[in-house]
Amino acid sequence: MSVIDCINVTKRYGRETALENLTFSIEKNKITGIIGRNGAGKTTTLKILAGYIQESSGDVKVFSEHPFNSLMVSANTIFVDDQMNLPSSLNLAEILNNAEMFYENWDCELAERLFSYFSFHPKQTHDQLSKGKKSTFNMIIGLASRCALTIFDEPTTGMDAAVRSDFYRALLKDYLAHPRTILLSSHHLNEIEELLEDILLLKDGQVYLHMSLMELKELAVGLTGKKDEIQKWISNKEVYYESRVGINDNYVVVENTFTKEELAKLTATGITISQVASNDLCVYLTNTSKGGIDDVFK
Amino acid sequence: MSLNNVTLATATKKLYKYKLKANIGLLNSLVFLQLIAVLFSLNGVGQMGTGGNGFSINVYYYSSTLVIAFTMLWAFIHSIFLTTKTFRYDDFTFVSNRIASNLSNMVFLATASLIAALFAMFTSPLLKVIAYFLLDHEVLLETGIFYSPTELLLGFAATTLYIFLFSALGYFVGTLIQLSKLFGILLPVIFFGTLFVEARAGQSNLLITMGTFIFTESSFLLFIIKVVCLSSLLFGSSLFLSNKLEVKQ
Repeated sequence: MSVIDCINVTKRYGRETALENLTFSIEKNKITGIIGRNGAGKTTTLKILAGYIQESSGDVKVFSEHPFNSLMVSANTIFVDDQMNLPSSLNLAEILNNAEMFYENWDCELAERLFSYFSFHPKQTHDQLSKGKKSTFNMIIGLASRCALTIFDEPTTGMDAAVRSDFYRALLKDYLAHPRTILLSSHHLNEIEELLEDILLLKDGQVYLHMSLMELKELAVGLTGKKDEIQKWISNKEVYYESRVGINDNYVVVENTFTKEELAKLTATGITISQVASNDLCVYLTNTSKGGIDDVFK
Repeated sequence: MSLNNVTLATATKKLYKYKLKANIGLLNSLVFLQLIAVLFSLNGVGQMGTGGNGFSINVYYYSSTLVIAFTMLWAFIHSIFLTTKTFRYDDFTFVSNRIASNLSNMVFLATASLIAALFAMFTSPLLKVIAYFLLDHEVLLETGIFYSPTELLLGFAATTLYIFLFSALGYFVGTLIQLSKLFGILLPVIFFGTLFVEARAGQSNLLITMGTFIFTESSFLLFIIKVVCLSSLLFGSSLFLSNKLEVKQ
């Protein structure tokens, strides 16, 4: 059963097109990573799903309802990011009490435990918190509200490394105990890789890939070896990335359509085959030029 | 995970409860403003004097008119605040849609008007007591420390309605400004422009007609109908206009 269905969703801000014909659907109780470069349309997509903003055209369905102005979607969705709006007139403990009133699945115990684990003070107000602390507090609300659709838009902004890994662990544990649909957008794919089942890669407001992480890992291979030697093998393949290593050697990332025999031959000709890290692959896939920043300085 | 269903009534009620808690600080500014108004009123809101051979009479009027005027201003300004992003977006962090958000604001403003009117009514005896004890007057002619309950109730109801009407107006103005920042410039220009033009023309026009329409109604029932209709119109338009407003952080 799919929780989210988007068909040809387009969003324009004035003349600027943020999303163009976005089509994807997300199944129930999966953790999906929304990956993309700055300005790829991640936040816009997530905000449309949360019912914060309205698409310019296309069809959006969350829990089979159009999310904009839907109370049902609002009651079962939580959108967490570093700019989450929380009243400054209430202290942190009061904010948690309020969230409990609004969200029916609210887990009070979890909220309190996380609250004391991250050593918050009940009398503090949200705008007194530092950037990382704000994100941490928002994360507590996001986890404890136990919404059927939980959206984290770059939740770790400002968090230090220790808190980040705590957060991922808390997210995973709570997800295993109470499975729900989670969308997680982040710039650090390498950090969230172990959490994710699927990834949705956005590029220029369009879906570039939507597949499981396992498939993504199989998508490409890295080859290192003599330039001429490699060239013979990759002439009819799609090259995602190319760079020079050492004096004569080249490192290329190409689509993985090699057969077992071909791979064996490759190794025999002195070419090293390596796996490409998902994070790097996503960067290569979304690069506009094959050489990356190096091309600028050529 | 099973889905929770929420009705509009429940969502509005919860938002209202939340707003009562979160906006309790508004009362501080209300009390502060009303005390300032009391201070201003100590000079007398009206004054007349006459004299003759060997005597002179100065009459000062003390009333809470100014307090009520200040309270209306307070309601107007705070209603504008309620429509701003900070307040609007808070609702969407929790469970809300645009209708529930607007309705809860409306009920909240009605409550605030009731409280503000009650406070304003209290300042009237306060003013007279201060005038009696602190100001050096020979004679204090009391027109009404002891109003009849009907009078008191009528006064209270009328004050509440006036304050509510002004909050409806503020809410509408705030919503227009949220739709386009241009209104933030345009509306004051139109208001003061009309004021000046009409003053120069010397005859009563739009603003005065409107003032007379609302402020000089002698039938209480008609007055209630007028205020309820006007505020519903203002809140209805705000609701209609803000139904497309997006949540952009």
